[in-house]
Amino acid sequence: MDNYYVTIGLEVHCQLLTTTKMFCRCKTDYFGKAPNTLVCPVCLGLPGSLPVLNEQALRLAILTAQALNCRILPRVVFHRKNYFYPDLPKGYQISQYDLPIGVEGKIEFDFKGNREAVRIKRVHAEEDAGKLVHEGLNLPFGCSGVDFNRCGIPLVEIVTEPDLHSPEEARECLVMLRNVVRYIGVSDGNMEEGSLRCDANVSVSPSPEKMGTKVEVKNMNSFRSVFRALRYEVDRQVELLEKGESLYQETRHWDEARGITLSARGKEEAEDYRYFPDPDLLPITLEDSFLKEIKAAISELPLTRKERLMIEHELPENEANILVQDKTLADFFEEALKEFNQPRLLCNWMLTEVLKNLNEAGIDITESKVSPQQLAELLRMIDKGEISGTIAKGVLEEMFTTGLDAREIVSKKGISLISNEKELEKVVLEVVEKNPQSVADYLSGKEKALHFLIGQVMKETKGQANPEIVKDILLKKLASEE
Amino acid sequence: MERKVSLAEIKTIAKLSKLSFSEQELANFSEDVNSVISHFEKLNRLDLQGVSPTSHISWGQPPLNPDEAVVWENRDWVLEQAPEVCGRLIVVPKIVEK
Amino acid sequence: MKVELFKDFTIADYHKWLREEKISLPELIEAFLERIKSIDPDLHAFLEINQQAALTEADILVKGDSFDKELAPLWGIPIAIKDNICVQGLPTTCGSRILRNYRSPYNATVIERLKEAGAIIIGKTNMDEFAMGSSTENSAFGPTRNPFDLERVAGGSSGGSAASVAALEVPISLGSDTGGSIRQPASFCGVVGLRPTYGRVSRYGLVSFASSLDQIGPIARSVDDCTRVFEIISGKDEQDSTCAPYPPFSRNDIPTEEEIRKLKIGLPREYFSGEVEKGVLELIEQSIDLLRKNNLETIEVRLPHTDYALEAYYIVSPCEASSNLARYDGVLYGFREKEGEDLESMYLSSRTRGFGEEVKRRIILGTYCLSSGYYDEYYLKGMKVRTLVRHDFEQVFEECDLLLTPVSPCLPFNLGEKTKDFYQMYLTDIFTIPSAMAGLPALSMNCGYCDHLPVGLQIIGPPFREELILGLAGFLEKRLSLTPPFPNFHQ
Ligand SMILES: [Mg+2]
Ligand SMILES: [Zn+2]
Repeated sequence: MDNYYVTIGLEVHCQLLTTTKMFCRCKTDYFGKAPNTLVCPVCLGLPGSLPVLNEQALRLAILTAQALNCRILPRVVFHRKNYFYPDLPKGYQISQYDLPIGVEGKIEFDFKGNREAVRIKRVHAEEDAGKLVHEGLNLPFGCSGVDFNRCGIPLVEIVTEPDLHSPEEARECLVMLRNVVRYIGVSDGNMEEGSLRCDANVSVSPSPEKMGTKVEVKNMNSFRSVFRALRYEVDRQVELLEKGESLYQETRHWDEARGITLSARGKEEAEDYRYFPDPDLLPITLEDSFLKEIKAAISELPLTRKERLMIEHELPENEANILVQDKTLADFFEEALKEFNQPRLLCNWMLTEVLKNLNEAGIDITESKVSPQQLAELLRMIDKGEISGTIAKGVLEEMFTTGLDAREIVSKKGISLISNEKELEKVVLEVVEKNPQSVADYLSGKEKALHFLIGQVMKETKGQANPEIVKDILLKKLASEE
Repeated sequence: MERKVSLAEIKTIAKLSKLSFSEQELANFSEDVNSVISHFEKLNRLDLQGVSPTSHISWGQPPLNPDEAVVWENRDWVLEQAPEVCGRLIVVPKIVEK
Repeated sequence: MKVELFKDFTIADYHKWLREEKISLPELIEAFLERIKSIDPDLHAFLEINQQAALTEADILVKGDSFDKELAPLWGIPIAIKDNICVQGLPTTCGSRILRNYRSPYNATVIERLKEAGAIIIGKTNMDEFAMGSSTENSAFGPTRNPFDLERVAGGSSGGSAASVAALEVPISLGSDTGGSIRQPASFCGVVGLRPTYGRVSRYGLVSFASSLDQIGPIARSVDDCTRVFEIISGKDEQDSTCAPYPPFSRNDIPTEEEIRKLKIGLPREYFSGEVEKGVLELIEQSIDLLRKNNLETIEVRLPHTDYALEAYYIVSPCEASSNLARYDGVLYGFREKEGEDLESMYLSSRTRGFGEEVKRRIILGTYCLSSGYYDEYYLKGMKVRTLVRHDFEQVFEECDLLLTPVSPCLPFNLGEKTKDFYQMYLTDIFTIPSAMAGLPALSMNCGYCDHLPVGLQIIGPPFREELILGLAGFLEKRLSLTPPFPNFHQ
């Protein structure tokens, strides 16, 4: 295994976040819509219809190329990729060929303590195809159905050079690509819903000088399946080479359920797509001012943000990394930080309690009923000793379900810290009486016993006691026992 | 006449075009294509070095669509005319996904 | 009322009669429908007659407008539409079996504009399948015949549009021109046909044959009518990327007679070669003499790449066509045939039975020229030659204002005469193809008769200079003093 050099390149398709399709004015929000409702003569390829490029799709494609440090070519030219398939109503896909939007870019990410740079070969824009339905909806036996709602949705295709050398590295690169497109707002990058799709070229070779036979792996629907599929494919290829067998240049499909890749097309002749410039779409000359205007919209990218969070707020790399994985999470963090300037504590709460609540509700942070300001208020209350951390966890849970402010919940439930010393002294006395062994332990120098006793008091008061005061009283009491 | 396009090539081309021909038709089409292609030889007399191709006739920047939705009211017409539908789906012979 | 009464009418005359109530609009429409009913079985210019809707439209117009205000520019004028231009609710077959049952669910931009201008769509006209041909013999529904001689072809591919206007089944029509498909049938039928500058008229709703060449244009019985229709249909369109950001054509831009006399007319030597039939050449030369007598200057010019334009065209247009016609696959609309149970057989049988021979020939040719390994040899080379052809014209228009040439090297030929040898058919377009390749406007008009068959002359102009072309055409029309055709083949 270690004697083989693994080479992986990625081909990533992202759905662009436009309101309308790439060459017509139909809406793009096809999710959950009845089949063939978001269609028109253009995206159905009806006789006589003609495409007109959506300006926003052009801008987003350029933005993607810019964010990936590409050189933007001065003219936008669309080509036709000709092939027959029922989800392709014109018999060709409008795509780009030898003149993509951007070339020669790079993407950087941290991997195993190193900063990796993977070259981006090209970034181009193209239209999506329709969707095939194979079962359900009373389809006649031996038939498939076609829904053209997705047909014509703008995509950006990002192709990396084969600069990746392990499935782990490929996954990290893909995660970074996903994060970048999300950061610049060109795509929601959701693999499960298909708004981000990834194919990979994999080859193994006994020598770094010579590339092995390239195998294309398709049909990977999550980051996990990308990793598993690549792992499987590398092992499969190594195994074959070990046995002295040779590899075919082919396309293989990842079968998620069985955890294997399967040859898709066999040794049939390669498709001949007969690319040629689409005569229905005139080339567009890109003005410098237009490109500058688009570039100005590029916000801070994930890697830069991670570094800034580590420097400005002294967050550990790991935590900063988790925060920036999701732009909205990091945004939430920085928003809350404005009103509660204790980054480490805030970060801990974000990555434990907040994420836990989000996961349980199955939502993401943008759908949360708790605002950054509300979280900050909760943390301030802990900080001021108004409630304990334990209580606060319960309060946060309630905030997530009701959307109420922390203070409101606390006062409504009558929960707040018992700071009344008389009241607490009573409980402390009881606890000391019930736990003579622990008292003895403490007195014999076992510091741990003190924490146990504090815990018992907290337990008795259902977490409502102010732990600082409990500690003071306990220490006084124990001192008197000596 | 020199044959530039072989029968096998025409077969491949027919397959790419989704057209099916009898052997006789194949022979005829191959002859036709060869005859036209032989006329194209004439173009080799021209010096095309450094000549840029004209794939479009363009008189300025093309219009772009604004990113605002327009609903097409006649969409159901298409379903009514389609060769075979099931509910709102267009029906085609079973596809074994590539 | 008989249409014989209208044989010298222009749109202005119809409007005068309507305004003076010498005829009502429904009567006028009836008269044309009657004419179609009586002669079209022999001529076969129409594939579909929009009888009921045309009469309803006439009623609506009459109820909606009063005659004291100005009428819309084409108010009540019946127009025939080539069957590759989409009219909502009407068939759009493109002369092909594969679209036999297809009705367009939307209007082409030109149709929207015609309707807005008050025109009444009277039917869809016959054509060579997907506009591929020069005689309308490639229609899946049988050929259109030449009104001057029913044994001869009407030209093509807009044969139905030209013949219907020549036989006064309708006063005006729309055709489409890819390599000569408006001009050649107009010439064969003795009417006026204009191929506008590429991008001057929206192609939205014109079923594509070769997208970088296709243009819609008017066919009419007089230059003035041609002008009026062109005025309505021209102008930019947000739905067609290839449509030029240019204002619509205006009749007001047409030069005065005095200005026309100052024009310098180029006579490209390549268009006056031995390939042209003698009778045709003689009539063209008469027209040239007429211009000279009227003090117009003529000069001989050279378009050295003319000879290569035809070959380049027969690379470029099949390449684009092979891709444009991929959408006819039996999935969503049109003809579907299933031989076996699988998808491949559906594709193969639908397309193989749906398309006619010439279409298949060009699909095969185009697919070949684009296929792996041949792109540079054919497609790219064709596009480069196209650049040279364009340059020829650019240079020539430094020396002269307009070009005058024959439209076709031959007179209308007999049905079946050129169907055996398709390359002979291709050669009939040698004089219309080069200007199409360069995207230039060009007009075909009658300049006389040879053996009772009409002969057309062609005026080619620089981009967007249709006003010069139409100006010169009107100038000539007046002096040739030929009346519009009214072939009396049907007694
Ligand atoms: Mg792609
Ligand atoms: Zn659409």
